[in-house]
Amino acid sequence: MQARLSDKVQIQPAYLGKATIHVDAGLNRDVVRILLENDGNVGISAITGLDMGEKIGVMYHMRTDGLIVTVRTEVPKENPQIASITDLIPGANFHEREVADLFGIVFQGHPNPARLVLPDDWPANLYPLRKDAKLEEVTANVENCASCSAQHEPVQLQPQSEGKLVNIVVGPQHPALLEPEKFQIKVDGETVNDVEPRIGYVHRGVEKASEQRTYLQDVYLVERICGICNSCHAACFVETVEKIMSVEVPARAKYIRTIILELNRLHSHLLLLGHAGLEIGYETLFQYMWRDREPIMDLTEMLTGNRVISSAMTVGGVRRDLSETDVPKIKTRLEALMKKMDFYQKLYDSEPSFRMRTRKVGVLSKEDALRLCVVGPVARASGVNMDVRKDDPYEAYGEIPFKVITRTEGDTFARLQVRLDEITESINIIDYAVDHLPSGPYRIKVPRVVTAGEAVNRVEAPRGELFYYVKSNGTAYPERVKVRTPTFANIPAFIKTAIGGSIADVPANFVSLDPCFSCTDR
Amino acid sequence: MSKLATWARLKSPWVLHFNSGACNGCDIEVVALLTPRFDVERFGIKLEPSPRHADVLLTTGAVTKQCAERLKRIYDQMPEPKFVVAIGACACSGGVFKGNYTVAGGVDKVIPVNAYIPGCPPKPEAIIDGVVKLLNSLKAPKTEAKVNDSK
Repeated sequence: MQARLSDKVQIQPAYLGKATIHVDAGLNRDVVRILLENDGNVGISAITGLDMGEKIGVMYHMRTDGLIVTVRTEVPKENPQIASITDLIPGANFHEREVADLFGIVFQGHPNPARLVLPDDWPANLYPLRKDAKLEEVTANVENCASCSAQHEPVQLQPQSEGKLVNIVVGPQHPALLEPEKFQIKVDGETVNDVEPRIGYVHRGVEKASEQRTYLQDVYLVERICGICNSCHAACFVETVEKIMSVEVPARAKYIRTIILELNRLHSHLLLLGHAGLEIGYETLFQYMWRDREPIMDLTEMLTGNRVISSAMTVGGVRRDLSETDVPKIKTRLEALMKKMDFYQKLYDSEPSFRMRTRKVGVLSKEDALRLCVVGPVARASGVNMDVRKDDPYEAYGEIPFKVITRTEGDTFARLQVRLDEITESINIIDYAVDHLPSGPYRIKVPRVVTAGEAVNRVEAPRGELFYYVKSNGTAYPERVKVRTPTFANIPAFIKTAIGGSIADVPANFVSLDPCFSCTDR
Repeated sequence: MSKLATWARLKSPWVLHFNSGACNGCDIEVVALLTPRFDVERFGIKLEPSPRHADVLLTTGAVTKQCAERLKRIYDQMPEPKFVVAIGACACSGGVFKGNYTVAGGVDKVIPVNAYIPGCPPKPEAIIDGVVKLLNSLKAPKTEAKVNDSK
């Protein structure tokens, strides 16, 4: 790499992932191209914008061999322009649109530079994540709800047609969506021709808010990004901060964190598999799955004090110890769940209506999965062997034996089956962690002021790779917190798999990607 | 006749759930209400997908700018008499997101609210309690008037 670009790049090994490559703004495409030529499995994890005063830093966090390589460049704030890499990696599409929204960087050559996360009536030339953005007026307007009093236009009842295509608008409020989000689905007869998502309905500005709170407050803020994978957010954030401070967490804390993270995965997968049952019109499966999810919620409540938002993680360890008396309770509940899994497996294998609704529906090939840089169970169902727990072990995952579940079909069934198998793996992981729980302290005291520095970190959330970048300026408040959630990375897969399929298959296909818009929008 | 209407309303309130920018924490607890352990259908409560058929609007989330107008529109579409329950700290006051640049901070900034259920997220038991309290308050016509006048 150094040889091919000679003195134009600087490579800093073992910084922000495996290495950081500093390049001039014009060279970002060349570096990405070389990375792609070296390894066909290169994906993009995130694009981070960073306000550096006169300039705006742009960081491309690329995934090679399961590890992160950061390509770093800068553009002037006056004229922030940079060449788009979407044509090289289609998966960069949404990442670039997000940075364009929040930092005002113009990605030249981007196929669709439309607004993605900010509200429709957001003022032009106001970029919320820039440090000098004047947000007071906007915030006051929102709080007084200035736009709500205005008379709204009558709802258009007739779907708009464009020639042969019929435009079906799903959302923002729709029975099939638990969350407010809008999808414009263009159909030709029964066949889906195009899907245009409009996300941003749940954009709460968490990244900006985290800069105004202390690190300790941020732990509670970031875990409220998503109520489903909340522990993953908290764990990823505290690990990033611990990396900056070079703090080594006690072994017991690592194991307790692992148990809580896996409980989180269990409840999330059961929730999703139940929801999938609902979407394919199999309500009994939904009721069964959610019934069996309740003991997991009980365990989370027993260990952390709350059913959903657990607030278990803190910088330097966990907030509660796991007592000896909890162990048998964990074991009996997990054993009971394990027995139920056989039943579900049998149902998956033999239930004809289930198979008809899911087999060969929304197929995502391995090539497309790599090109679109999808993560988590969606990628694994298409045959991409990626799991942060194995690739870049964190907490106690390096010491615990488990299998990474992959399948090759890439259809809706495979995506659900991967999750079903992962439930079994998760139960085994918790079982092992409880048996091998080390003694010692469960947290250590760390200073509230974090040393200056920056770090990236990843956690395998139930939906896939969760990415955090934190930059500290030596105070009690972070300078920048970047969150790239797995669902954000998986949205392109929905567009890809829905096109060409039947409109009736859209719900089943969509839910198999495990969408979560509170994560997507932040 | 009004007695009959009140009776019908009490015995089978149809609820509509709208997420106005929540973290999903409250939403999964609302869904958990319908599942075997909590089973709110024993109170006659039924989750209804259309605002035009709903009596009670269960709202979660801190109300983002993008959702505020939609929330108002959904409220306007509901037939009278209608009741709004704000579920969770965010829906009550904005919670941790208060003061963010796209967050209005509370459902009552946009539409009148009849019952607040705090918690982050509230336990399903708390939500059931809140909804049942709201229903009980409708029993006496006097209280009903009070509830409506308070906003």
